[in-house]
Amino acid sequence: MSPSNAASKSPLTTYLQVAPLMLVLLLFFAVPVALVVVVSFFRYQMLVGIVPDFTFRNYIDLFSNPTTWTLYLSTVKFTLITLAITFVLGFWIAYFLVFHVRSLLIAIGLFLVCTVPFWTSNIIRMISWRPVLGTEGLINSALIKAGVIDQPLQWLLYSDFSVVVAYVHLFTLFMIVPIFNSMARIDKSLLEAAVDAGATRWGVVWNVVLPLCKTGIALGALFVVTLVMGDFFVVTVMSGGLSGSATSGIFNDLQFLNYPRAAANAVILLIVVLLIAAAIFRLVDVRKELVR
Amino acid sequence: MMANPNLQGTSVAAQPGSGEIRLVNVTKQFGNSYAVKDINLTIPHGSYCCLLGPSGCGKTTILRMIAGHETPTSGEIYIGDQMVVGKPPVERGTAMMFQSYALFPHLTIQDNVAFYLKMRGVGKEERRQRALEMLQRVQLDHLKDRMPAQLSGGQQQRVALARSLITNPKVLLLDEPLSALDEFLRLKMRGELKSLQNELGITFVHVTHTQPEAIALADMVVVMDTGRIDQADTANIIFDKPKTPYVARFMGGQNVLTGTVEKSGNGVLKLKAADGSIYETAHAASSAAAGSPLSVAVRRDRVSLKKGRGNGVNAVNSIAGIVDATEYQGSYVKVTINVASDVFVANVSDSAYFAEPVDTGDPVVANWKAEDVHVLSKVDSGVAADHGH
Repeated sequence: MSPSNAASKSPLTTYLQVAPLMLVLLLFFAVPVALVVVVSFFRYQMLVGIVPDFTFRNYIDLFSNPTTWTLYLSTVKFTLITLAITFVLGFWIAYFLVFHVRSLLIAIGLFLVCTVPFWTSNIIRMISWRPVLGTEGLINSALIKAGVIDQPLQWLLYSDFSVVVAYVHLFTLFMIVPIFNSMARIDKSLLEAAVDAGATRWGVVWNVVLPLCKTGIALGALFVVTLVMGDFFVVTVMSGGLSGSATSGIFNDLQFLNYPRAAANAVILLIVVLLIAAAIFRLVDVRKELVR
Repeated sequence: MMANPNLQGTSVAAQPGSGEIRLVNVTKQFGNSYAVKDINLTIPHGSYCCLLGPSGCGKTTILRMIAGHETPTSGEIYIGDQMVVGKPPVERGTAMMFQSYALFPHLTIQDNVAFYLKMRGVGKEERRQRALEMLQRVQLDHLKDRMPAQLSGGQQQRVALARSLITNPKVLLLDEPLSALDEFLRLKMRGELKSLQNELGITFVHVTHTQPEAIALADMVVVMDTGRIDQADTANIIFDKPKTPYVARFMGGQNVLTGTVEKSGNGVLKLKAADGSIYETAHAASSAAAGSPLSVAVRRDRVSLKKGRGNGVNAVNSIAGIVDATEYQGSYVKVTINVASDVFVANVSDSAYFAEPVDTGDPVVANWKAEDVHVLSKVDSGVAADHGH
């Protein structure tokens, strides 16, 4: 649209054009979130249910409960570990695809291979780890047959380890895609210019590729953080119920029909995730980078 | 700003070692096709060399092999007396200026210029200072904190130049440096490149597909054709005395004529063309056996035109035809003439043209002197491509 065209339109037209999306966002996003916030201040009474009220009871309950802190701490721990591993994997896989695979066709093929974990349902993906990591599983029996160990390794399945393995398996793609996207936009001659100026292979990655992928890394990190922070299924299945996440707490409260406390917990989780997102966007001005 | 005594001697003019480039039997293969085949070339130290040819002729591949961004399949490349194949660019003493300039978009132009020093581990203060001095040389120091995207094309090119020169190179490699600029800037930068090369005294290797650019800049023009060097000589010889029909055609200023040798000796060669025309040379350096085919070239601006059909008899060193087009060029008029099976071009000076103007459809006879006929070393393969200007 040309500027003169836009200027000739009345503000009303512009509002009308934005209206459908606004409506969808209001109905399906703003209203539910507002409801959750409102309910989080309600009172829960045994046998009666939800009683409209304005009380900080639910929040006080949650903050004074050590379980909340344990769950949040464990969630943050999983998030950080997953973030670190998916970043390292995602960065180098994207780097390989963009700068080392010369044929576009092969690059697209390999890219599709990265999406294989998503060709089946989440439950099947989780269950398939059992024959691999279990006591009688592939890895343990292989290690025993090879004589490396006498007893099967117990920490392979139903442990923090298996939770992280599942997260990495599931979420690395969310790191690869945005990093791949920003890497693919790097002019290859920039790498040669850096080599020309005496940069080593590492120097090129550190001084040219990494800074130019900041947007992709930030977006990938955002995906992984929100996905891990919002998960309770993977952590429950893969830890055998031994570990939990912040969302597990919400899930438990919902099962006891304690909606107000679940809502309060949801609000806390929302704030935590928003803070992390704000921190990421503070480090990288994604909007500025996207229009570059 | 810190006054650092070590910086006093910072000058790009101090050159260690020679910037002579020698390519020995260099071949580069991509899959089954040859980008460059068995090339031998010596570029003298301190010369301005232009690699000239159409796209896909391998000129950029040669440049990239000298720079070290491409490895020859076989053959050797020397810079000074150092065999450089397999060595990184910094050890070669080369610096490359990329066609797209390849400025780092995430760094200010000062940091772009300082990048080389950063890679060398030079401290922040010192490298910023030296980068600033280099930016002063290209008159961009007032923009040092801008990002590359905020600069115009011409300014970006100056930054790229500064970034190349800060490495103190023996050889500066320029990959179509002027192609992204508009006509006015192109001419301006062309002049600046030439004077910069004079001032620095280092070897410049400049890839271009534009003939006037090569002729204006180069001490040495290397004309290339699909992976081979056709001729490497001074601009004057390339333009005035091309070796092959390809060079004659590509440089644009020549008409190529082919015939069979009738008589040879005493520097006089007499050719008979297929249509019966007779061409004669005044002082040919070589002699040729009678009956063998031979091609000659006549400069377009050495041709004079006369209106009319001729007298029916084929006069020596003349060709008759119908004017196909006239193109006013200011100081001369380019007259394209359709002759028997080919196109003949005469660049007539404007005074001569307006004394006796010809127009499309007019029959004309073109004449030239025997001493203006130049013998080519190869017989024309008959590709009547007109790269003319």
